[in-house]
Amino acid sequence: MQNKKRNKLLIEISGLILAILWLTPFYLMVVNAFKTKKGIFSDILGLPEEGTFENFKQAFIDLDFIRSFFYSLFISVGSLALIIIFSSMAGYALARNKSKLSSGIFMVFVAAMLIPFQSVMIPLISLFGQVEMLNPAGLIFMYLGFGSSLSIFLYHGAMASIPVSLDEAATIDGANKWQIFWRIVFPMLKPISVTVMILNVIWIWNDYLLPSLVLSQETATIPLKMFFFFGQYTKQWHLALAGLTIAIVPVIIVYFFAQKHIIKGVTDGAVK
Amino acid sequence: MKQVELINLSKSYEKQTEVLNEINLSIDEGEFFVLVGPSGSGKSTLLRMIAGLEDITSGVLKINEKVVNHLPPKDRDLSMVFQNYALYPHLSVEQNILFGLHAKKVAKKEQQKRLHETADMMGLGSLLKRKPKQLSGGQRQRVALARSVVSECPLCLMDEPLSNLDAKLRAHMRMEIRRLQKRLGLTMVYVTHDQVEAMTMGDRIMVLNEGKIQQVGDPITLYNEPANLFVASFIGSPKMNMGQAKIEDHHLVIENELKIPLDLTELLKITKNKGLTVGMRAEHIFRGEAEETTHLLEVVNVEQLGNETLLTFEIGKELWTAKWLGQWQVSVGNKVPVNISMKNMSFFDSETGELIKAASTPTNQEVVAI
Repeated sequence: MQNKKRNKLLIEISGLILAILWLTPFYLMVVNAFKTKKGIFSDILGLPEEGTFENFKQAFIDLDFIRSFFYSLFISVGSLALIIIFSSMAGYALARNKSKLSSGIFMVFVAAMLIPFQSVMIPLISLFGQVEMLNPAGLIFMYLGFGSSLSIFLYHGAMASIPVSLDEAATIDGANKWQIFWRIVFPMLKPISVTVMILNVIWIWNDYLLPSLVLSQETATIPLKMFFFFGQYTKQWHLALAGLTIAIVPVIIVYFFAQKHIIKGVTDGAVK
Repeated sequence: MKQVELINLSKSYEKQTEVLNEINLSIDEGEFFVLVGPSGSGKSTLLRMIAGLEDITSGVLKINEKVVNHLPPKDRDLSMVFQNYALYPHLSVEQNILFGLHAKKVAKKEQQKRLHETADMMGLGSLLKRKPKQLSGGQRQRVALARSVVSECPLCLMDEPLSNLDAKLRAHMRMEIRRLQKRLGLTMVYVTHDQVEAMTMGDRIMVLNEGKIQQVGDPITLYNEPANLFVASFIGSPKMNMGQAKIEDHHLVIENELKIPLDLTELLKITKNKGLTVGMRAEHIFRGEAEETTHLLEVVNVEQLGNETLLTFEIGKELWTAKWLGQWQVSVGNKVPVNISMKNMSFFDSETGELIKAASTPTNQEVVAI
């Protein structure tokens, strides 16, 4: 009994230390966003002596926040929609058609997860450049390609929980393949679709490297715009931190509404 | 009219594993036809081939006198009830019932008319807005039936629809399904592994084993005149009592233990040299009354069912069961007088399993309605 109490205490203390470690960068970001440039360097850890909202106003203008938020949203939502639509259909087709060919195609998708992005980025950019697709639409197609492997893997596994008899009942009822998938199977894939959406939105929204290679200044996303404040000779920390604070607000709002699904999604992704 | 015709229908997987072997069968319009057999006998595969959910390796399938081998299920004018009901979990009862009509683009007014008629018939009026997970097993079964009925297809296929229900509900639903079939005049092809369901529901039964037809006939014929040992042991509860027999000194000797005197006329009917297996129904081992007692047998097990008593005896290496109506106070170890007569025995060829001679059946008693 004593051991149990002691172990519980140890776990709680460890959790507290980890929480402090995790939250410290956020604390530093938010607290220093309200300080002037001088104020940040005079006391980085303390609360602002004279809080100011000027940083936020300036960052909002310099980031062209509404435009960059729009492009982040457009690219994320567009990519997610295509990933969910095509990956779910592919997972369904590969799971329901049991043959050597479908197993082979599935293995190819799974193997593609092992390919690091850095090894394909240059030929990819070169190819898309040749067909003039170095723009938000082209980026969406790239995310579709990179995001499909894991998503198809997840959908393929989820299909095991949907009895084939439902497909057969719908076939007897007179539904065609399209109707069977969209009216019967896809609604039942809602939990895994939420998982796929959450796992993909996390990396697509925060991605820097691929948008930096594809997008121009006019169509830059929020992560790209952040580096506006880091010049060759000077770093405008007060504006950068204010910009970062603004940038995470939409993420926090989404998290508050979807936290149950996010936790489940990350857990499922880890288990799978 | 023949609603369904199977002509030399066969099914094999990868040209090696033969699941069904040259099935020839015809099912009349309005008939309740039962496919019965043990697990792996091919009955569900046969049903799925009729439905169009499995390809036909060889042979011809006709529905309404039209060859349908390559016709998709939706064009075969049939409905199906699955073992696990296959209700769409995210749709309400109403949406489940109407799904097929919606897919076939039936007019909305007609959909609603059929929905309400069917819901009234199946007692689902108050459940239309519920989801399947909010229903009991029996209610889900009725929704699955309603989905079939609302399609107004003349042919209905059922794949072990009662196997997920408890015994009491199963007995009730057996009756409901049969009444529904008679009321609507549907042709039903019903698959089950339960011989009680087969006997109580079917107009005709087909017994399948290892992909081959063992016998086709009405329930009473299968019960009284089983074509072979498999049908004899499969149909009837309790199972038919069986034993190896030989003829010695004008006696029929069963399992080297039970001796029954033979007369000449009986001897002529069964060849002395053949390996013989005898079968006897439990209800034909009568209680011996005074001079009618033929044997004294020691009881090794007693089962009291309330309306009848089952007594088990050891006959050689076999266990034979007697079924006596009523409640009999018998204990294990008691020696009870029984009457065992050859006229109640069926004889089978031990090598081929085929029937040589069936037990004498009682004259049919008819009830005259006043």
